[in-house]
Amino acid sequence: MTSGVVPSDTETLAARAIEVTKVYGQGQTAVRALDNVSVELPSGRFTAIMGPSGSGKSTLMHCLAGLDRITSGRIFIGEVELNTLSERELTLLRRDKVGFVFQAFNLLPTLTAAENVELPLAIAGRKPDRSWVDRVIDAVGLRDRLGHKPAELSGGQQQRVAAARALASKPAIVFADEPTGNLDSAASAELLGFMRRSVDEYDQTIVMVTHDPNAAAYADHVLFLADGRIVDEMANPTAEKVLDLMKKLGG
Amino acid sequence: MWNATLKGLLAHKLRLAATALAIVLGVSFVAGTYVLTDTITATFDQLFKQVTEGVDVAVRSQETFGSLQTGETRDPMPASLLDKVKAVDGVKVAEGSVTGFAQFIGKDGKPVTTGGAPTLGVSIGSASEFTAGSTIRSGRRPSGPNEVVVDAKTAEDAGFRVGDRVKVLLQGPAQTFTISGIIGFGEADNLGGATLAGFDLPTAQKVLNREGRFDEIDVAAQDGVSPEQLRDRIRAAVDPRYEVLTGTELAESSAAEINDTIGRFLSTALLAFAFVALLVGGFLIFNTFTIIIAQRTRELALLRCLGASRRQVLGSVLLESVVVAVVASLIGLGLGVLIAIGLRALLSGFLGADLPSTATQFELRTVVVSLLVGLVVTVLAALLPALKATRVPPVAALQPETAFAPTGFRKRRIVIGVLITAAGVALLLAGLFRSEGNRLMNVAAGALVVFFGVAILSPLIARPLARAIGWPFAKAFRLPGSLARQNAMRNPRRTASTAAALMIGLALVAFVSVFAASIKASTSKILDESVSADYILSTDNFQPFTPEVAKRLTEQPELDAAAGIRLGVWKLNGANKQLYGVDPIAYEQVVRTEVTAGRLADLAGGGLAVKDTVARANGWTVGETVPMEFPRTGVQQVPVRAIYKDNSINGDYLLSLADYQGDYTDQQDFQVYVKAAPGVAPAASRAAVDRVTAAFPNITVRDQAEYKAENARQIDQLINLFYSLLGLAVLIALFGIVNTLALSIFERVRELGLLRAVGATRRQLRSMIRWEAVIIAVLGAVLGLAVGLFFGWTVVRALRSQGITEFTLPVGQLVGFVLAAGVAGILAAILPGRRAAKVDMLRAITTE
Repeated sequence: MTSGVVPSDTETLAARAIEVTKVYGQGQTAVRALDNVSVELPSGRFTAIMGPSGSGKSTLMHCLAGLDRITSGRIFIGEVELNTLSERELTLLRRDKVGFVFQAFNLLPTLTAAENVELPLAIAGRKPDRSWVDRVIDAVGLRDRLGHKPAELSGGQQQRVAAARALASKPAIVFADEPTGNLDSAASAELLGFMRRSVDEYDQTIVMVTHDPNAAAYADHVLFLADGRIVDEMANPTAEKVLDLMKKLGG
Repeated sequence: MWNATLKGLLAHKLRLAATALAIVLGVSFVAGTYVLTDTITATFDQLFKQVTEGVDVAVRSQETFGSLQTGETRDPMPASLLDKVKAVDGVKVAEGSVTGFAQFIGKDGKPVTTGGAPTLGVSIGSASEFTAGSTIRSGRRPSGPNEVVVDAKTAEDAGFRVGDRVKVLLQGPAQTFTISGIIGFGEADNLGGATLAGFDLPTAQKVLNREGRFDEIDVAAQDGVSPEQLRDRIRAAVDPRYEVLTGTELAESSAAEINDTIGRFLSTALLAFAFVALLVGGFLIFNTFTIIIAQRTRELALLRCLGASRRQVLGSVLLESVVVAVVASLIGLGLGVLIAIGLRALLSGFLGADLPSTATQFELRTVVVSLLVGLVVTVLAALLPALKATRVPPVAALQPETAFAPTGFRKRRIVIGVLITAAGVALLLAGLFRSEGNRLMNVAAGALVVFFGVAILSPLIARPLARAIGWPFAKAFRLPGSLARQNAMRNPRRTASTAAALMIGLALVAFVSVFAASIKASTSKILDESVSADYILSTDNFQPFTPEVAKRLTEQPELDAAAGIRLGVWKLNGANKQLYGVDPIAYEQVVRTEVTAGRLADLAGGGLAVKDTVARANGWTVGETVPMEFPRTGVQQVPVRAIYKDNSINGDYLLSLADYQGDYTDQQDFQVYVKAAPGVAPAASRAAVDRVTAAFPNITVRDQAEYKAENARQIDQLINLFYSLLGLAVLIALFGIVNTLALSIFERVRELGLLRAVGATRRQLRSMIRWEAVIIAVLGAVLGLAVGLFFGWTVVRALRSQGITEFTLPVGQLVGFVLAAGVAGILAAILPGRRAAKVDMLRAITTE
């Protein structure tokens, strides 16, 4: 089975996976988390990856983002093949080319919201692009919360800080792992709206893992995973269509 | 519940090991001290038993004018006493013996020195009854005025052989003897490190300045007469100013003299350091348990949810501490024995003592005290954290991620901390400035309480201090530096108590350093102000030497004056006092004395000069007499001729040389001050002095600069010993930093993982941990320095009347300590940093 998205010739790819397999453990206890998966993620698009628990959707994202090593196959971010990179090169690639939003614990508790937003830039020792960072901060609506520590922010505010951080370094691709997992529906809508706008207005590439059909509906494209394989896909999703397909797939 | 505790312990072996290490080190020091001193005591007991073998009864002078410096603790007895003893019924043999100063000169022309033990000259008796303890190993016993025997150790070290002609320094200039034999003491080659020159009795009496007198009379009983019976009979026959002992009593009393010194000095000193190590270890344990309990909040709450009572939670935590304590103390005990064996080898090497091989003494007391100390320290340190654990509410198990950040109690902490610190300072000052009570104990207890007070207060200042100390790191090392600074500031209690452990060690180090620098500066100032002499002559180890030196120096035309100074002990109404015997005319030329009443020169005709404060305290004025009790002549009424102001050289009493010669047996100088004649070039006057001392190779000549340098060298030697012993406490404190960081990393796994995920390199994480360690270490050093400087200042002020008039800050050294603490912090961060860099990103960022 090949990838879901068929790229047009004019589209460039932000990332792609070619026949990727990921096995945890060895021998009898080996678990095949990803089984010969190929995916192409075009630039400037918002892609959602869905699937039931244990389907391998988080593993796929970790491998695409260079957080985890694969057993076989190839993964590219832009033109760079991750397999060929050393541990240190991989770290620097994450720092410079990738943005992250996790489900929880996105922020360092000792830093203020503003410091957390600029954390990847600080790690790199780069001067932030002031006007860009200001735009991002205004877009997430955190202007009046910049001096606060994470403990003083609500869950939704924390996730918006994390999203602002992911965008602040102008990464080639942003990975979001269940970013709305701990949020109520209003906070979720705010965060997803921001992510959607960043794709539409700033041409950002976003890949989001989720099990929430409402969240997936914000994406341009949805990939469905089950048992470590891509089993289906959907363009221009709505919550109802996604829910129907999930029922059909038995998720 | 017990089961859960033990399983929990085993699950955290590493944590257990780190905690235990502090106790292991402290306890091993305690056990090592006991084993060492017990072994040395047993050794000397055995040695003296051997030396007095065959002696049933011994007679010696009663009066003891105890003084380590003079060596003359008993006045010799008249030889006529021997006849009186011989006449007692039941005496088989009685023989007199003498002991005094004699020092061999090696083949290189330099005197043979010891590591602190005396250089003895003795008479070798001829009665076979008393020679069982010592054996002639080769050659024969000495006979006649030209023969000497030497102990086997000295013979070996100096390369002496039977038939060699050797020079021996005696009360006069060196004399030449022929070695007639080499002597051993059972299996030992010498007597506890002393060098021994043995002469026949008449020769010994002559060269040791004891003509017609004995230091001891040894008696063997006839068959059928017990030593006790004979002792009582002799006691009845002689004057009560003579002490009559059985051989066993003599051995015990001789051994007790040495063992008292060892017991009081060596074991007190070593135990004090062991105590410091344990104190630091206590802080480490307190800290570890506090962190562990913070981390186990949910686990403890779960136990409470499942129905465990507060008492059971308390018991569980205390049980953990007991297990750690017992395991660690047992290991410490074993390690202590090894340390003792090592130290003993080191010590006998250092003293040059060939100690008879006594089995290592491992007494029940050692086991009990070591285990008890380890247990008490550990459990006490764990008590507060354990009590805190009981306050974890069951509901904490149900709440996600309860940040265990205890706030509040700020005011209470300030009040308690300030009160305790103030109490400590008061105790310290009372010990220093009031003359009654056990002053040393007061000072030590005061210092201890101050440490606790500062430790309680330190969390209040830890945050601003860490901010200030961390500032340059945040500037210089960007993100890792500023994260390190934030981390050091985020839990001020943890940072403070980790730093407090280091504070103790560094406070003591800083104190010693300030104290030593002040002594050096004061000595320097005293020399500049009070000593007008150009040269100071003394022997190493301050062994006294012959007045012949001063006499010959006086005869040199290049020299103006040479004043010998003799040390004497006397009693005022039963209390031991010390005096210097001087020739006032010469003395006035070499030492500046400001006389407030009378004239120092009047001492020329006999009499006493007294320091003004002493005179005032006793109500003495010039012309009055003082009842001075001397070892040789008993109570004498000595007139006061002059009263002087303290100059830190004269001491409290100066006795005229004329009186000194009459009242003391040994006539020896321990220092000679020499003044060059006016207009004589330094090189010429130095040559004149060297010309005289050439015949006395045990004497070292120093000008003022050299004297200061030598003084500084000796002080440095001593404080280096202190530093190395305090090093143990600092080492334990560093383990504390390692432990705290390791536990903190365990807590911050997710943060570290997040940093790695968003692009921080391993090197950056290691650097972050490193600078946090350095900030904590420097924080501890700064606190320690502050406390240490305070201690130094108060002690120096308190000792002003003892001649320590200058307060000096060895700034370079103190800065060096802070830098060293920083470097130590870097070392402490190596393992935790490696661990932080290896954090599994995925486990950190995925939600369970």
